Amino acid sequence: MSDPDVIVVGGGPAGSCAAIVAARAGLSVVLLERGPFPGSKNMYGGVVYPRILDDLIPNWWEEAPIQRWVTRRATMLLTETQALTVDFRTEAWGKAPYNGATAYRPDFDAWLAGYAEAAGAQVLTSTTVTGLLRDDKGAVVGVTTDRPDGDLRARVVIACDGVNSFLAKEAGLYEHTDAKHFTLGVKETLALPKEVIDERFGVRGREGVDIEIVGCTGGINGGGFVYTNLDTVAVGVVLKLTKLAAQATRPEQIIANLKGHPAIAPLIEGGEMKEYSAHLIPEAGLRMMPKMTTDGMMVAGDAAALCLAAGIWLEGVNFAMASGMYAGETAVEAVRVNDVSAKGLVGYQRRLSNTFVLKDHRKLRRAPELVLSDRVQHLYPQMMANIAERMFRVDNPEPKPGLRRILRQERKRAGVRRRHLWRDAFTGFRSYG
Amino acid sequence: MTAMNFMETMETAEFRVHPDAHIVVDGSVCTDCTTRECVVACPANLFVPTADGGVLFNYEQCFECGTCYLVCTQAGAITWNYPAGGHGVVFHRT
Amino acid sequence: MSNRIVVCLKWVLQAGEPDDARFAGVSPADHAALELALQWAERTGGQLTAITVGPPQAETALRDAIACGASNAVRIDAPLSTNSADVAAAIASAAHDAKWVWCGDYSMDNGSGSVPAFLAAALSASQALGVTNVTFDDSGITATRRVDGGRREVLAVHAPVVISVEGATARLRRASLTALRASTTAPVDVVVPIVAMRTSQHTIQPYRPRARALAMPSGANVLDRVRSLTTTGTAVATHHEVETLAPAAAAARIVDALRDWGYL
Ligand SMILES: Cc1cc2nc3c(=O)[nH]c(=O)nc-3n(C[C@H](O)[C@H](O)[C@H](O)COP(=O)(O)OP(=O)(O)OC[C@H]3O[C@@H](n4cnc5c(N)ncnc54)[C@H](O)[C@@H]3O)c2cc1C
Ligand code: SF4
Ligand code: SF4
Repeated sequence: MSDPDVIVVGGGPAGSCAAIVAARAGLSVVLLERGPFPGSKNMYGGVVYPRILDDLIPNWWEEAPIQRWVTRRATMLLTETQALTVDFRTEAWGKAPYNGATAYRPDFDAWLAGYAEAAGAQVLTSTTVTGLLRDDKGAVVGVTTDRPDGDLRARVVIACDGVNSFLAKEAGLYEHTDAKHFTLGVKETLALPKEVIDERFGVRGREGVDIEIVGCTGGINGGGFVYTNLDTVAVGVVLKLTKLAAQATRPEQIIANLKGHPAIAPLIEGGEMKEYSAHLIPEAGLRMMPKMTTDGMMVAGDAAALCLAAGIWLEGVNFAMASGMYAGETAVEAVRVNDVSAKGLVGYQRRLSNTFVLKDHRKLRRAPELVLSDRVQHLYPQMMANIAERMFRVDNPEPKPGLRRILRQERKRAGVRRRHLWRDAFTGFRSYG
Repeated sequence: MTAMNFMETMETAEFRVHPDAHIVVDGSVCTDCTTRECVVACPANLFVPTADGGVLFNYEQCFECGTCYLVCTQAGAITWNYPAGGHGVVFHRT
Repeated sequence: MSNRIVVCLKWVLQAGEPDDARFAGVSPADHAALELALQWAERTGGQLTAITVGPPQAETALRDAIACGASNAVRIDAPLSTNSADVAAAIASAAHDAKWVWCGDYSMDNGSGSVPAFLAAALSASQALGVTNVTFDDSGITATRRVDGGRREVLAVHAPVVISVEGATARLRRASLTALRASTTAPVDVVVPIVAMRTSQHTIQPYRPRARALAMPSGANVLDRVRSLTTTGTAVATHHEVETLAPAAAAARIVDALRDWGYL
């Protein structure tokens, strides 16, 4: 068999989109996935934003294996005994072209890889890529795999091998790897009858709910989430690696504590544990991103740390799909003009820069740090919850206190300095505003 | 959560175990390690301190997440690879 | 004389995922059979045909076999629930000239290990079933099988034969990358059986003897009565007959006796 034009490593959303684009443009493509099927190794919180597929798969919403359309999004601040929730719902997200959807990754990724195969890419599973092949000038010219006779050469290699990307590291694209740039996600998939989920979460039919939670991870910086699938609820936490490693509570206990919180327990009561899972997230955005290209190779998706993890946003699948598409387009261009050197692949960086992929990252560059900061994690939830509690508490015969006094007292009680509050508010405003 | 309970939790995930370990832990390095980051951080609880001051590691129920090699501070303690293609964890509803 | 070698692979859905082909696969025993069949084909220069009975998705099992080195593949189009006798008959008609037929001893679902036995009968071949060890030498194949009482039976195997092996007898090789790529477009012959395939009705259950009528226990105290019911402490050989009969008559006599005593 002849060598393909393009090797795509990894059958996640980045890899499949890269393969679809390159194969549809007429290039010969081999996609290598180490799992028994694309998606079998992949886990996330639970919501995909597939609008980026509009061009690639028109009417994707009629085909995609989605569980529920998210029509209700809540952000919850938890203290041990309190919960302050901002809860938004809109009918608009329950209709085409939709917004976010819950889906299982083994379903979604396998579905997407089906389009790569249909476009003519050869999707080879159960094959682990073990390294890069280079020519004498150091340019990437292929990969090695764990199969006998397992070397494969191609014009371009697109590394979509996920958060641990040993290929990007081997190619020297990362300056260094630092545990503090990663968070660990662990989750439980709990089975409940659909009617029970509908009732508890106040939704009908295919409507679903996405709850992001701050302040539920003990002393560890991170966050929590609850997502509704058709007949399961996903509950999990995301934990900053270095903080997790430096204390004594294990991840499953932190989930157990979240599940036991009075604001969460009634939602999941009686749920039967279907599956426990874990996966890393590249959390640090621009601060950890590698060089995107080298001679003969591009990196996309989590392998390039393109996941956007900025507190109330945890989006990686859409960033992976987009960067995969752009890498695919760039490969097509480079093969056509017969220049697959880093110079020939510059179009990739340009595409990333000119689209939401890097624009969102630039805009939100301070957000991950802010959201994972000790103040936002440990002081503000308590302060906000106390303010809310005092606002809504009726202390008759005492008259209602003025808001300004509550704010000042609670800020002091929480040990928050005014200047820090202003500074964080400013950072937050610059990031999210 | 009790130990027994967590064993049941781990049984909810599917693992297609390969006869060869994909992660190898050098116990002699661990003996000198006082911080033991892996023990608390591994989501599958695969690093277990032993009575004689070592650390016992089982690779069978590994999520292949990468946490252990990132948090471990001792050079050479962990040799980390993905399992052979087709083996290891297989997610269903994640 | 043909030297046709056949391996039978059953593609099985995972117990917890009865509607999902992604989690399906073949048993370690079938993998072992494939490996031994490949080794035998290499040794004898024969052609190996992989056969499965199942729906179109089951062809993944055949392509995997082709990637590992099988020369060609046949899928007999029938539901996975087809009963063992019909599965065996269909395989036998597709592989009537087979000399060496390799099978796993049990499939992964509720396999009873009966397909290899039916197959041997349908092919008028000899059988070596439930084999735990296989060695090849110039005179042919030697197979070891477990028999009752922890003993081993060593068989010199001669064609035509059906050999069913346990999962630990061999570890399937990994397909090379080149062969894997070629296998994705390799043809699979599809045979549609002429006779209707019957569904297997039977489910495997733990053995449960039928109820027997017992006389009121005798004995002066509770302990004696319990003893008399459970026959603890008494001689067990309550049924003891010695007869000399021809094999067929002996078998019939044994079945009759077991039925009388309530075991069947
Ligand atoms: C707990 C958690 C919650 C999350 N929540 C969300 C969310 O709600 N919404 C959202 O949009 N994103 C979320 N994300 C982020 C999202 O999952 C990732 O950004 C996304 O999966 C990245 O896609 P990818 O294709 O780059 O990588 P992956 O999906 O990781 O795919 C990489 C693929 O490469 C394969 N592979 C790796 N190495 C090799 C090799 N050497 N050889 C062959 N194959 C290989 C893997 O098996 C895998 O299939 C979450 C992540 C986590 C961990
Ligand atoms: S693996 Fe690393 S962190 Fe764990 S005990 Fe050994 S040296 Fe310490
Ligand atoms: S890779 Fe993850 S699950 Fe596996 S041993 Fe390391 S920390 Fe544990």
